[in-house]
Amino acid sequence: MADMTREATLADPRPALSGADLSELCDQLDQVETARQARRESLSRYAQAGFPDRVEHLWRFTNPEHLLPSDLAPTVLSGAGVKVTDLPAVPEASATVDLWAGRQPVVQIGEGQKKAELTIGPLDGSMAAGTVDEQDAPSALFRHLNSAAWNTGLQIDVAAGAVLSGPVVVRVHAQGPALLPRILFRAGGGAEATLVEQHVDGGSETHVIGRSDIVAGTGARVRHVVLQTWQDGTRGHLTVQSRAGRDADLLTVFATFGGERVKMELTADLQGEGARSRMIGVALGGENQRFDHHTRHRHLAGRTWSDIDFKSVGAGRSRSSYTGLIRIEENAPVSEAYQVNRNLLLSSQSRADAIPELEILNEDVSCSHGATVAPVDPDQLFYLESRGLGSDDALRLVVRGFLEKTLQSIPESLRPGFESLVEDRLGRLREDS
Amino acid sequence: MSASQKIAGINEDYTEKYGFHDPEDYFLKAPKGINHEVVEMISRKKNEPEWMREMRHQALDIFFEKPMPTWGNSELLAEIDFDNIHYYIKPMGEQARDWDDVPENIKKTFDRLGIPEAEQKFLGGVTAQYESEVVYHSIREDLEKLGVLFMDMDSGLREHPEIVRKFFAKIIPTRDNKFSALNTAAWSGGSFIYVPKGVKVDIPLQAYFRINAENMGQFERTLIIADEGSSIHYIEGCTAPTYSSDSLHSAVVELVALKGAHIRYTTIQNWSTNVFNLVTKRAHAHEDAVVEWVDGNIGSKLTMKYPAIVLKGERAHGEVLSIAFAGHGQHQDAGAKMIHAAANTTSRIVSKSISKDDGRSSYRGLVKVVRGAHGCKTNVECDALLIGQHARSDTYPTMDVAEDDVRVEHEARVSKVAEEQLFYLQSRGLDQDKARMMIVNGFIEPFVKELPMEYAVELNRLIELEMEGSVG
Repeated sequence: MADMTREATLADPRPALSGADLSELCDQLDQVETARQARRESLSRYAQAGFPDRVEHLWRFTNPEHLLPSDLAPTVLSGAGVKVTDLPAVPEASATVDLWAGRQPVVQIGEGQKKAELTIGPLDGSMAAGTVDEQDAPSALFRHLNSAAWNTGLQIDVAAGAVLSGPVVVRVHAQGPALLPRILFRAGGGAEATLVEQHVDGGSETHVIGRSDIVAGTGARVRHVVLQTWQDGTRGHLTVQSRAGRDADLLTVFATFGGERVKMELTADLQGEGARSRMIGVALGGENQRFDHHTRHRHLAGRTWSDIDFKSVGAGRSRSSYTGLIRIEENAPVSEAYQVNRNLLLSSQSRADAIPELEILNEDVSCSHGATVAPVDPDQLFYLESRGLGSDDALRLVVRGFLEKTLQSIPESLRPGFESLVEDRLGRLREDS
Repeated sequence: MSASQKIAGINEDYTEKYGFHDPEDYFLKAPKGINHEVVEMISRKKNEPEWMREMRHQALDIFFEKPMPTWGNSELLAEIDFDNIHYYIKPMGEQARDWDDVPENIKKTFDRLGIPEAEQKFLGGVTAQYESEVVYHSIREDLEKLGVLFMDMDSGLREHPEIVRKFFAKIIPTRDNKFSALNTAAWSGGSFIYVPKGVKVDIPLQAYFRINAENMGQFERTLIIADEGSSIHYIEGCTAPTYSSDSLHSAVVELVALKGAHIRYTTIQNWSTNVFNLVTKRAHAHEDAVVEWVDGNIGSKLTMKYPAIVLKGERAHGEVLSIAFAGHGQHQDAGAKMIHAAANTTSRIVSKSISKDDGRSSYRGLVKVVRGAHGCKTNVECDALLIGQHARSDTYPTMDVAEDDVRVEHEARVSKVAEEQLFYLQSRGLDQDKARMMIVNGFIEPFVKELPMEYAVELNRLIELEMEGSVG
């Protein structure tokens, strides 16, 4: 029998990274030895990790080479030339943080926030328990790259039982050739807290490889919002890894509006009995934007519940790809999991792909998913136009209707800001369709 | 006797009903393993035209070169020992057109499987394949008079080379996948059907495939061409004895439904649980044509089969209706592919699966709408039922849509037998076994009602057997 394995003949396109490059970065970020050690370990994993395989569903729609920075030289990682500006704090926030490549976080604590309840500062980087990277995941390369070379890091700890006065707002400024932000957010038992990540700035020179870890302790209620409004041309890969302990309640709201090539991977692990996770996502793409979203809900304990509702609207020549996995382990009985992905296409050149996947290893579950791809219903437009609406307004109304139910499920306190971003993006999409 | 007492376990019944085997007394049995000599021998024995001989050799090289699939079940696939398989066994000298001419032991086999009886009762024609060759073949005279061709593939190649050459490996290219290449290299038997323009064959034609030898590889090749405005229903069934070592069944089935034609292809796959069933099935549906795959997978160790329909002509319609049952040690990795390559084409996929004990059933599907295929509609529904704590169900659908005025819908549900339904039925006086059976029957009803009566009865009986003693 002939040997059927084929060896990779193409040169590996991952950007080079050396221990020496990292030690300069560590000096600049004032890292302790254990943190340096953790980076070195991640560096060797980065060097060994398989390059993402485009045969896998997860990478079928995006070329990983497009997302990797071409150069990770010390000057790049240290954020040489990145302009840091003084920005006012968000009024209702319990804390406002600004992150730039190669800089320590700039933290402004809100007046109403009790100091004892919220500890916030530079990421220690010793990689606290619970944030270890998966070895064999198809995207391991990106995870290890961030773990090795993150160039701005933030650590937020909410004390057990604390109820924060307002959201922690983190503005992540995509400037310079390579931004590798890393956020660790931990909510103690019974705490209630909201983290809002705003991914701003960017441009055709900028690559972002981001990673956020959310850890919700027993009975904690955590709201995590990721708003991505990068400038045109930005390329980025964002990983969100959440873990919910016993009876914890997680909500992740994400909006993908900006950037040219964007891949976002969100995982929620339901680790404790009775844990719940809901994800709500909206993507609005136009022109040549390519969005690729992947969500995973992993039920690792009994009586866990998850729900994901992801909607995308595509105009211009944009393309949205979605892959979503629900996995219920054998030792997670009496679990429920739901998943919906709906895609609305506004132009004949836009595309949408959907791969919703289920892996169910336990019989005592209730699980469903649904996915649709459809154009704007011409009858709806006709009806609205016959009532005197201009075609632009009619289309806007149809899109609003498409998104309405999803937007309504976002908690009251977060909704107005979210809706105005949607309106803003829609306004620009219309010109594009 | 209660329902669960009736049958102790499915394997016992399988051995009695299908799992028996005849003594191996063959006309010709190729040594184990596949290489160019074996391929040459098969082609020479069949006295094939040169182009087919060349195609076989090329296909073998492609088979060697192609990697194993990385989806499905790589662990189980790795168990296939390609060197421990007989790629060609010829059980008897000549094909029979009368059951009396079939050697006694083989005839008995098919008698026990009920084939001659079924032929008399409700079929328009039968081919019976035993190992690599079709041993019996018949077609009703009236159909023959209408110009319907129904024969084994080898005879098809001999008697109608112009048709075969035009379509053979054109729907499923040799290079499509590792197993389509293997089939093209080693194919033997299978059915060849041509239905002339406007002829509607209103009773089903059937093929029955039987593996008897241990470590057998069966590679039948089927080609069905329904000319403009014609219609045909083809049914295939299959069984094998239960051995402790594995056999391989790797068929290639190509269907062509020309303008306005209608093909329905029904499979009841009930291989023993030592058979790897790795099959490639694809249809071309031209303008206004309808193609339906009705696909039941009950047996085998690992099935990987994704019947495909390429909707090539405007307004063509494709349907895949499938049911999979995965019991102990089984993995049914089945699904469907719909390629909308023309405007205003429509398709529907309904997939039902039941996983029991540590069985695993997976739905793996693709719906693709190519650029330019305006106004298409497609709907995919997957329902999975889990019985037993270790049962597993996966759903891996892919939707790839390159047009905007297309409606694509996919829905899937996974659950166990609902407590409320059980409670309701038990409160009406049914015992738990019967209540559960009734719910399962309801679950598979959309599939069963598409089968001819005799098959529906048989399928229900099979499912009932499989369900015995499954009260959790």
